[in-house]
Amino acid sequence: MLNQYYGDYLTVALFIAVGAILVGGAVGASKLLAPKNPGGFKDVAYESGIEPVGGGWNQSHIRYYIFALMFLIFDVEAVFIFPWAITLDAFQAAGRGVFILVEMFLFILILLSGLLYAIRKGVLKWE
Amino acid sequence: MTVTISEFFKESANWAFLAIAVPTLFAGWRTVTSNNIVRAVLYLVVSLGGTAGLFFMLGAEFVGWTVVLVYIGAVIILFLIGIMITRAPLGQEADLSHAMNVKAPAALLSTVVFGVITWAMIDAFGNNMIPPFEPTATSDLSLLLFDRFVIPFEVVSFVLLAALIGGIAIARQDEEVVS
Amino acid sequence: MDAIDYHALLPEIILAVTVLATLLVDLFTSRKSFAAITAMIGMFASFVAILTLAFCDNLTFCTSTGDRVLFGGSFVVDGYAIVLQGLFIFAGFIVVLMSVGYLETDRYYEGEFYFLIVSAVLGAAVMASSRDFISMIVALEIVSGSGFLLAGWRKGDARSNEASLKFFIIGVLALALLLFGVSLIYGLTGTQVFSEIAAASSSVEDIALFNLGAIFVLLGFGFKVSAVPFHFWTPDVYEGSPPPVTAWLSVGSKGAGFVGLLSVCYLALPSVTEIWGPVLWLVAALSMTIGNIVAIKQTNVIRLLGYSSIAQAGFMLAPFGAAAATGADLSQTFSATVTYLVIYAVMNLGAFAVVIIVGTRVGSYELERWSGLNTWAPGLALSLAAFFMSLAGIPPLAGWFAKFVMFSATIGVGSWWGYSIAIVAALNAVIALVYYLKVLKSAFFDTVPADLDVATLEAGTVPGPTSFAIGLTAAAVLVLGIFPGLAANLGDFSSDFLATLGL
Repeated sequence: MLNQYYGDYLTVALFIAVGAILVGGAVGASKLLAPKNPGGFKDVAYESGIEPVGGGWNQSHIRYYIFALMFLIFDVEAVFIFPWAITLDAFQAAGRGVFILVEMFLFILILLSGLLYAIRKGVLKWE
Repeated sequence: MTVTISEFFKESANWAFLAIAVPTLFAGWRTVTSNNIVRAVLYLVVSLGGTAGLFFMLGAEFVGWTVVLVYIGAVIILFLIGIMITRAPLGQEADLSHAMNVKAPAALLSTVVFGVITWAMIDAFGNNMIPPFEPTATSDLSLLLFDRFVIPFEVVSFVLLAALIGGIAIARQDEEVVS
Repeated sequence: MDAIDYHALLPEIILAVTVLATLLVDLFTSRKSFAAITAMIGMFASFVAILTLAFCDNLTFCTSTGDRVLFGGSFVVDGYAIVLQGLFIFAGFIVVLMSVGYLETDRYYEGEFYFLIVSAVLGAAVMASSRDFISMIVALEIVSGSGFLLAGWRKGDARSNEASLKFFIIGVLALALLLFGVSLIYGLTGTQVFSEIAAASSSVEDIALFNLGAIFVLLGFGFKVSAVPFHFWTPDVYEGSPPPVTAWLSVGSKGAGFVGLLSVCYLALPSVTEIWGPVLWLVAALSMTIGNIVAIKQTNVIRLLGYSSIAQAGFMLAPFGAAAATGADLSQTFSATVTYLVIYAVMNLGAFAVVIIVGTRVGSYELERWSGLNTWAPGLALSLAAFFMSLAGIPPLAGWFAKFVMFSATIGVGSWWGYSIAIVAALNAVIALVYYLKVLKSAFFDTVPADLDVATLEAGTVPGPTSFAIGLTAAAVLVLGIFPGLAANLGDFSSDFLATLGL
């Protein structure tokens, strides 16, 4: 059982390793083969053909933060939905299907009121 | 059952453990010592990835994937955006170190805490071999979570709701406040 | 699994509905006060639900008897849970009352404020019933999280931002320590449930790692109750936060920390008092002494109350220290802490209500600006005197009984662990008198600062909800002081279940 489990993840690790070798090989090969002539305008950031103004790092608007926060919160919610989905059958078989359905329904409803709040307060509007 | 050092290196799982743990430790170290705050966050990604890997090795699949999804996927994004909304000069090397009079006691304290925890761990487990274990099936976990721990489960949604609404209230622009 | 006893969950269910209702009412109505009214109605209903649980034996519709154990021992409604839940809901109710008038004085978000207060009350109430680490920590997260946010509610004020940040960083450190300790305890005992840890603890108490885990848990809650040496955040956070939030932090948040300590020490680790007793003895002695000595020098009333609350936490921890003695009557030390906590909550809330009114009217919380309070607001001065003298422990106000119970419990264990902490407490009770009376001397015997206009000050009114809060707490302080049996009953009621554990 444990060996089977490790074997599965070994496959994943192999895929990652092969992917890394492929990408590394391609980038490495082009680095070796390509002609090099550094300097001048080649180091300037590309901005649709217009000369870039200022640095690459700028202060972002705080509304991005609210989006990131909402992403995090609903991500955590999603993490709880996965284990819920795989046990529906077991609960249904035990005659408690309604219980677990209502449970998750409430969980999502509570968080949806947070989304409702964000919409009502207009923080999701993009001016 | 106890293990000797040569036996430790014969076990392939231990090599896998070292392959994960050493980069995790290194990334953790660089997270703290890096002078570029954006790089520190990216090192944290590596460190968290290693942590997820250790959970996978322990057969805690669900926890491992939660670390990947929530921490690497979302918390890091929040960190980066949190850095980007500040006025701090970004993408530059800056001397983030504290003065020696702050550093020295902190180093002493962390060394002592590390020493005490390590000593206690060795005292409790020594060089005992981990008994054979089965990977935790996520379905077993959820049978507990949605039955016995239904109260904390529902309370979690209130934690998230409070964080969401409080966070929005603190972060949003004030122009429409009714006084 | 058995059917769920929804009556036992009723207070939490009502609070949960109130949380959502407060939010929705604020979103869909224009009057800001509606959210506060919703929150108060909800908390009152939840309090009634707790009363039906407390007096279940005398009610016809209530068929269940004894403690209600739900979810395989993870969630228990017994005397201890009922008393503490009632206390948290009362505290939340009073805090909302004193916030109503305060929030109108400046540009604050109101609906979200009440939402967070009720969320915190919900978390604290769940904590009181939690009998395993998972439930307790999840509930603690709401109490802490809403505390961090509320501390920063004065968004434009750098000190409020600082308070929020400081509270957040130290609070997260405390949570991390707590979680680490819990993971060690879980790893060694193989269980999260307090009763099962209690059964397993004597077989693992010789392992240093288990002791370390227990100490980490104590440290985590030590931050929460702002006991020395984990108190550094307290005065700054108290000063920077909006004062109604400070009132909640010093009562609700601190109370939640004490629930954690009480549950972990007396429910999870009752057979290993030699681990936590000496640690908490030291913490109690340090908290009382340092809190009181630093409080003497304070010139700001809110900071003074901050240090006073550190010292009061020390008094509440003293019975824990006395429990280190072998053969100590744990139910007595337990009920002493609960009784002290209940009385402290009532008098501290009242003190904050008065302080907020006076501070808003004078425009400063510096003590020198408060001199001559008696000449322009004799009623406020009198209630200030009542609450501060109660905090100092002067009869016939409730505070004396809290101290009395604490002393009788610590001396009652009949060992040097108890005698020594009682001596430290007695010395500190005298020191505490100095700064409580200093405030009163300034309010009653000093002259009003020359630049303050007495006529304007006299013309100011106390907002209705706040005067109701002052009246309610003042009445409670008087009644509990004159009929201390009531408070003693609450303490005994809360510790009844310990007898069934055979302690």
